[in-house]
Amino acid sequence: MTRPGKASSAVPAADLAPLAARVLPWVLLAVLAAFPLLAPVLGLEYWLGFVRRLLIVMIAATSLNFILGYGGMAALGHAGFIGVGAYTVVALVDAGVGSAWLAWGAALAASALAAAAIGALSLRTRGVYFLMITLAFAQMLYYLAVSLSAYGGDDGYGLYTPLALGAGIDTGDEAVFFWVVLAIAALVFALFSRIAASRFGHALMGIRDNETRMSALGYPVFRLKLAAFAGAGALAGLAGALLASHNAFVSPSLMHWTESATLLVMVVLGGLGRRWGAPLGVAVWLVLAEVLKLHTEYWHWPLGLLLITVVFLAPRGLAALFARAGRAA
Amino acid sequence: MSASLFSAQGLVKRFGGLVATDHVDLAVEAGEIHALIGPNGAGKSTVVNLISGLLAPDAGRIVLDGVELTGMPAHRRVRHGLSRCFQVTSVFGANTVFDNLLLAVQAHTGSSFRCLGRRSADTRLHARALALAHELGLADVLHRVAAALPHGVQRRLDLALALAAEPRLLLLDEPMAGMGPEDSAQMVALIRSLRERCAILLIEHDMDAVFQLADRITVLASGRVLATGEVGDIRAHPEVQAVYLGSEAAA
Repeated sequence: MTRPGKASSAVPAADLAPLAARVLPWVLLAVLAAFPLLAPVLGLEYWLGFVRRLLIVMIAATSLNFILGYGGMAALGHAGFIGVGAYTVVALVDAGVGSAWLAWGAALAASALAAAAIGALSLRTRGVYFLMITLAFAQMLYYLAVSLSAYGGDDGYGLYTPLALGAGIDTGDEAVFFWVVLAIAALVFALFSRIAASRFGHALMGIRDNETRMSALGYPVFRLKLAAFAGAGALAGLAGALLASHNAFVSPSLMHWTESATLLVMVVLGGLGRRWGAPLGVAVWLVLAEVLKLHTEYWHWPLGLLLITVVFLAPRGLAALFARAGRAA
Repeated sequence: MSASLFSAQGLVKRFGGLVATDHVDLAVEAGEIHALIGPNGAGKSTVVNLISGLLAPDAGRIVLDGVELTGMPAHRRVRHGLSRCFQVTSVFGANTVFDNLLLAVQAHTGSSFRCLGRRSADTRLHARALALAHELGLADVLHRVAAALPHGVQRRLDLALALAAEPRLLLLDEPMAGMGPEDSAQMVALIRSLRERCAILLIEHDMDAVFQLADRITVLASGRVLATGEVGDIRAHPEVQAVYLGSEAAA
């Protein structure tokens, strides 16, 4: 609880002042990097795995925030790409591949291809039709996974052997795997921040705000959206691959449509189109869920109330709320 | 016809049973301001959308400077020198004027697929956006949010966005729409000053503005070209007077 708590209090402050915004991410990174060493001392071993899962989900949520918040593409099939990534790892492990980098890299590539193909068709539609068609494709992937009896079908597939990370270490080492996930998540987040400030990012936001005008300005709107969609799909696939190693297990439930919806909810909660929106939303949602589960069976209720409250009182998300409070202070 | 900078030949567009554009021929010469007029529902906006590529024609062809634009997506037509403004002001309202201009200029300076360099470090982009702001008289409002600007200024920004493409033919869809006399006069002066830069196809309801600006006029009625000619000929054209000018005068 200590670490994720710190994560969520550092995030809003990032919007406060330029100096804080530059320093706090590094402080956060340092704290997280020290966590595997501190956890055994503080008796927080259980939370090591939890924070690692948090970081993995943040990668997926950040990629969704990129197409939804920056690109205006309301996709409800993101879990499908998480699944493509996870099942790519399953397929490679089943075929005898033992290298984590090879498996994860292949997952990245496979989900990029899947997203490019699905995007090429879906992006011809807009709004609620786009939402429905991305959902439909994700459901097709879900039932495809269910029917893959070679990989356990409905029952899923256990990944009993940890993947090799090189130099004699593997994903079975809790701390090392944590650091690897942290490094990848930090890299993805830095990349995302960089892209948001780039020519590509500005073009994407222009498309979100006024697609017809962007086309009339000479922008290849469709190709720009497709590139963003494929890139986001690739990162969701990477998250799926990491999740496969994290859980040492993959099943179709990973790509159930409610997973896509939960991801969407976390991004909206944190703040659509805001730099810290996705990590903040994931941290708040998953930490609350975890804590509430310890106390009550009916843990969905308070989460639902939280979502309703945020939608009414801070429709632009928690990140926007904290940014405003920061300016007022 | 072939010597014209721009020509549209035999354009047809049907919406179900309605023929919105019925074999329309249109030619714009280099350096010309060509006005397209007609009563409400004559199909002027449909013609503009066909030319700019927002709609696909059922028949006909569109040629600019020897390049066949028919069937080309809208954004590629812009690259070939055909730029447009919108009847309803279409700017990026939540952004500042400068960000609007940067976005317009970016479309024509280098690839927008570059995703690692920060755009704020691109000095060439900034210089061009700034130059555009000065040319269009937007330098004073550079850091204002576009949606908060008066209507007339937003129209000027809309025009600036279209000019960033350095078009050879500019389509202006009712640039004076919703403007008071003062803003209209300013816009007329501004459009006249653009004559040096590009040919203009001007769709406009304000007949004073049309007669002040146009070299030639094409009159559209019920999707068909009723007449094309010099300003004087159109004014004197009996059918045009009956269909359009007459009804306007009576209104």
